[in-house]
Amino acid sequence: MTDQEISVRNKQEVNREEPTRSGRTYQPDVDIYETPERLWLWVDMPGVDENSVNVDLANGVLTIEGAVALDDYNELAPVYTEYNVGNYLRRFSISTDVDVDGIKARTANGVLELELPKAEKARPRKITVTAH
Amino acid sequence: MALFRFSSDPVDSLLSLQRELARVFESPLGFELGPSGRGIYPAMNVFTEKSGTMLRMEVPGVPPENIQIETHGRTVTVSGKREVKAPENGSFHRRERSMGEFSRSVQLPADLDVSQAEATCKHGILTIRFPKKEETKPRQIAVQTA
Repeated sequence: MTDQEISVRNKQEVNREEPTRSGRTYQPDVDIYETPERLWLWVDMPGVDENSVNVDLANGVLTIEGAVALDDYNELAPVYTEYNVGNYLRRFSISTDVDVDGIKARTANGVLELELPKAEKARPRKITVTAH
Repeated sequence: MALFRFSSDPVDSLLSLQRELARVFESPLGFELGPSGRGIYPAMNVFTEKSGTMLRMEVPGVPPENIQIETHGRTVTVSGKREVKAPENGSFHRRERSMGEFSRSVQLPADLDVSQAEATCKHGILTIRFPKKEETKPRQIAVQTA
């Protein structure tokens, strides 16, 4: 066996306010990265395509939702299971001012990438000191 | 064995699928998971369908070209690499997604035809299908008059 660098993270079910829809919802694993100009988020949502993702930023709360496609489970009978499937939900409060119109979202191989440009006033500014 | 039927109501079918998947299954019939059992990346579900058996694994963020599938007799090994790509001059606030190399081997039951396996990867879910061997498929026997 080759080196095993990754381990499985068990899915965490989301317990939130009484949901209006039945069915389990899981918390996707997220990486958050910050550069001077942007915030980046990478969200693991296997089984979710670009049309089933919903991203919303309102009142400083970023909400990420993804719905799984079930068509691929038709005519199957599980005989051994290690993970369950369900929709994804995660919320973050964003303290940085974000340029809402400049937000970009893309999906690739079941990962959602979010690019949130900081608003002009939230970017670090270099102040030049002059001698006189 | 009941096959999961896709109903027209998505909420209802999500619930019934989740209920099916939540049932506790010990090692599937004829499979040998060996040291590569529960908890080894990637997480795996096994399903049967009319034509054979299917392995499904969650590998978000791994492009199909980074996945290698190798068979050795009845043993199938899935390996690959999950890589970080982050722009320069920044720092992580949160790192929940584990990255690196993985490899997992499973020994298949003898009635599957490993040479006819097919694999697809869609939205971070890898599906490998193994059809039943020709000689294990159900056959009609004609009754002759003596």
